[in-house]
Amino acid sequence: MTFLPAQATFYYMAAASVLSAVAAVTRRNPVHSMLWVLALFLHVAGIFLLLGAEFLAAVQVIVYAGAILVFYLFVLMLLDLSGEEARPRFGRHWPLAAVVGLSFTGLAWLEQVETPGRAGSRPAPAESSTVAESPQETGGPPLGSLSAVGKDLFGPFALPFELASLVLLAAIVGAVTLAGRRAES
Amino acid sequence: MIVPIETVLGLSAVLFAIGVFGFLARRNIILMLVSVEVMLNAVNLSLAGFSRHFEDPRGQVLALFVIAVAAAEAGVGLGLVIALNRNRPGAGVGDLTSLKW
Repeated sequence: MTFLPAQATFYYMAAASVLSAVAAVTRRNPVHSMLWVLALFLHVAGIFLLLGAEFLAAVQVIVYAGAILVFYLFVLMLLDLSGEEARPRFGRHWPLAAVVGLSFTGLAWLEQVETPGRAGSRPAPAESSTVAESPQETGGPPLGSLSAVGKDLFGPFALPFELASLVLLAAIVGAVTLAGRRAES
Repeated sequence: MIVPIETVLGLSAVLFAIGVFGFLARRNIILMLVSVEVMLNAVNLSLAGFSRHFEDPRGQVLALFVIAVAAAEAGVGLGLVIALNRNRPGAGVGDLTSLKW
């Protein structure tokens, strides 16, 4: 297998994201954990770019790294967990948690190994007879571009799209109700 | 496709397992929520990989919905953390024993 620069970039991104995820769940200082999660999100956005999902990569950086993570950092500053570093990081049952995580990976690996026809041995649809239906062949927008995602988002996925706005509205009302200052207290 | 789909799925499984470990092992509610975000990101990664493998943008649309649900989860979860912190300072799950039987 020739080792292309794109593959080298992918393996760098994969290794860096795994390392930042491990650092994020094991650091003692919560703010350091958040910064490692930021590194993880940016590397995953790079993998999205390599997989041809440009819009998803942009959303990952803007919404995940820009909005959600800053929200977590704000709450962390608001709570002022000064005694957090002195407390034990993990509960006493952490080996059990490690066993659960390792067995999840093991099960996924076994499933991949023992499936009779592995996914890689089957031809991807682009290489089979459906090649004429792929957007590139019919002159449609390229995969992962804003117009390809937008056509699906407002076409077959229009109802879930509207329901997502309802979920977000419910979350806003819930967050204000839970965290807002009570008038009587 | 620059790498086989198994590589992307393997990376996704490893990231998900790290998230599971963090959620189960950490004693800080905020870091447990962050571990949930790591798991959701792993799922997004496999969705993008499938989208690339099957040349179908629907996987990316599903990943966008996952991001929307992650934002909602962060909002409600951190609201709960603030409400809990108002009654009892700190964010350790070991202190929340008032519902313990």
